[in-house]
Amino acid sequence: MRRFTAALFLLGLGVMIAAIYQHMDFSNTAVNAGQAINAVAAEETGAANFVTSVVLAYRGIDTLLELTILFTAAMIGGMVLGRRRVDAPRDPDAGFILRTGADLLFPLLLVVGLYIILHGHLTPGGGFQGGVILASAFFLPLLARPGSSINQDVISIVEGLAGATFIIIGLLAMFDGKEFLTPLLDKGELGALISAGTLPILYLAVGIKVGSELAGLLAHLAEAEALD
Amino acid sequence: MNLLVLMIALPLLTAFLLSSINRISTLAARWIGPLVLLATAVIGLSVWPQLGAAPLALQWGGFQAPLGITLYADQFALLFALAMTIGTLLLWPRSAENQLRSSSLALLLAGTGSGLALSGDLFNIYVFYELMTVVSYGLIAGRGTSGSFASTLRYLVISGFGAALALAGIALVYQATGTLNLAQLAQLAPEKLNNLQGFAAFVLMLIGFGVKAELFPVNMWVPEVYATASSRVSALLAGVVSKLALLIIMRLLILVFHQPEALTVLLVLGILGVASGELAAWRARDLNRMLAFSSIGQLGVMFIALSIPGNAGIFAALAVMVHHLFLKPSMFLLAERWGGSIEKLAGAARTSPIAAALFVLLALSLIGVPPLPGFWAKLLVIMPMLALDQPLYYLAVFVMLAAASLEANYLFRVVMKLYDKQPAATSHKVHATADLATALFLGGGLIAAVFMLVPLADRLDSIAAQATDVSTYIQTVAPQQLQSGRVQ
Repeated sequence: MRRFTAALFLLGLGVMIAAIYQHMDFSNTAVNAGQAINAVAAEETGAANFVTSVVLAYRGIDTLLELTILFTAAMIGGMVLGRRRVDAPRDPDAGFILRTGADLLFPLLLVVGLYIILHGHLTPGGGFQGGVILASAFFLPLLARPGSSINQDVISIVEGLAGATFIIIGLLAMFDGKEFLTPLLDKGELGALISAGTLPILYLAVGIKVGSELAGLLAHLAEAEALD
Repeated sequence: MNLLVLMIALPLLTAFLLSSINRISTLAARWIGPLVLLATAVIGLSVWPQLGAAPLALQWGGFQAPLGITLYADQFALLFALAMTIGTLLLWPRSAENQLRSSSLALLLAGTGSGLALSGDLFNIYVFYELMTVVSYGLIAGRGTSGSFASTLRYLVISGFGAALALAGIALVYQATGTLNLAQLAQLAPEKLNNLQGFAAFVLMLIGFGVKAELFPVNMWVPEVYATASSRVSALLAGVVSKLALLIIMRLLILVFHQPEALTVLLVLGILGVASGELAAWRARDLNRMLAFSSIGQLGVMFIALSIPGNAGIFAALAVMVHHLFLKPSMFLLAERWGGSIEKLAGAARTSPIAAALFVLLALSLIGVPPLPGFWAKLLVIMPMLALDQPLYYLAVFVMLAAASLEANYLFRVVMKLYDKQPAATSHKVHATADLATALFLGGGLIAAVFMLVPLADRLDSIAAQATDVSTYIQTVAPQQLQSGRVQ
């Protein structure tokens, strides 16, 4: 019965895709929104990177929800993973090269991550990408020394505060009589490091949140018992 | 500016801060969640009267539609946003081990559900839906038993599959129209989506969002999940969350997809859902599973109601939804202490007479015995179908009536056991006071509706009329027209 249903479903999907492929007008895709944003984004948000203006301003609520998905997934990960018996064996420490390499890379990764986050409104990159680099900076020492651990309590507080910062900036706009998540502050000069109002602050919150969540999740995975 | 966005923002903010608050005071962490939900419910209720006159459209971040994201509030949307908030408050999860995390998840569920109901942008709906799905994984797995982990995994696979299909459907819509704003889609749909591509997009989104609405055939997760999750979580998922998924499908049907074939697909899947759900419930030997399968059957009735063209269909679906919204959580709460084989329930009415009496009343309403509300809800579905005079609709009526007799058979089997003269060997557990009180509150509200059927029906009719008013929707949001052009 189950196989029959699966076969029926695949057949339906196949027919549907074939039919769509026949009818779809590939040469004439409507991308009106993209052009409209190109026309107004610099003036309305002050961000030189228009992708950032979409991510944090035009569709800022979607980004907040994506952050919340990550938050929830990390929380559930903590609930399900990271249980180990007291006497479970651990992986041995890595060799000299990896340990020294991890120590040397840590400050470098931190700087690169922060650079990418803080320039998110100017150049490609931003909170999500930079956050992942920050997470790797904190996770690399765990790979080099499996016995050490990250303080999960600190992580959960940091990620909570970063997420709250995003929402509180949104709420501040409401005190100002504007809609929730309206960008505030002076837009500044297009392309300058300090410009685009609150967008860089939002991206910093995104970066710290993504970094702490991924680091926490990876640490939970590393906590899982080592295979013999 | 309107305070309505706080229904979404405040629960999320509290969920983020909960572990920090817990550091400062565990007492505050325990009470702040319910208090915030109470506050957001009050905000929602205070906006309710003003929406009767005219619906409200807000732009997140103040950016004009369709570039910015629209929040559209009419009484239809607010009804379910309030149901989500108040439902979570009443069914606040209580677990000894994971209280902090469960509280966070409950807050996230309330905020996300409200946002899902109020959203007016297709992709925003998708993101809210995804978040709600992830939150439900946590709530189901939160029980920490191996059974709940296994059922979460199955739910995760089916949901992931559904989400991929829904996303494909959204992509098809965006390809054809170049917009995701529902108001603008409503403007463009007659011209650009009234074709095979539009129909394919509808079917993909129907199956995708149908996963949560327990649509046949993507409902394989239902019995396992409701049997292994805690009864409060089952009550929330079956009672409220499934209705929110249905609400999205209703919105799409009203605003975007007007093909007659779409209604036929809904009708056929609805009939199959009723038939398969009720037959499986009839065979079930465990109360939780029985209720889970019967919930599939009830959702099937809602899909049948949606397939009726025009306002009558939306009105009927709304009536069945509201009925189920009160009934199913109440039944799941009663099933909390009555899990396991039905045989063990013999004579349970003696130890808990109030719960047993409530169960009998709810069962009668579920079957559709007059004058209980369930009867009127089913009548609203059946009458317009008979008037349509088409063979497939006659089949639907026949299946619904046959399903009612099946329901009567299996529910009375439970009732007979409850009032059995010879009690079972094992002693029965009495319901927790909070569970029983909540069940009585919801069930009592449902039964009390008998005395004000006419004003309630009028109210639901006006909500349905407002929901189906496409031109008001477009005018309220008033999306600006974008210059059409090709990629340079």
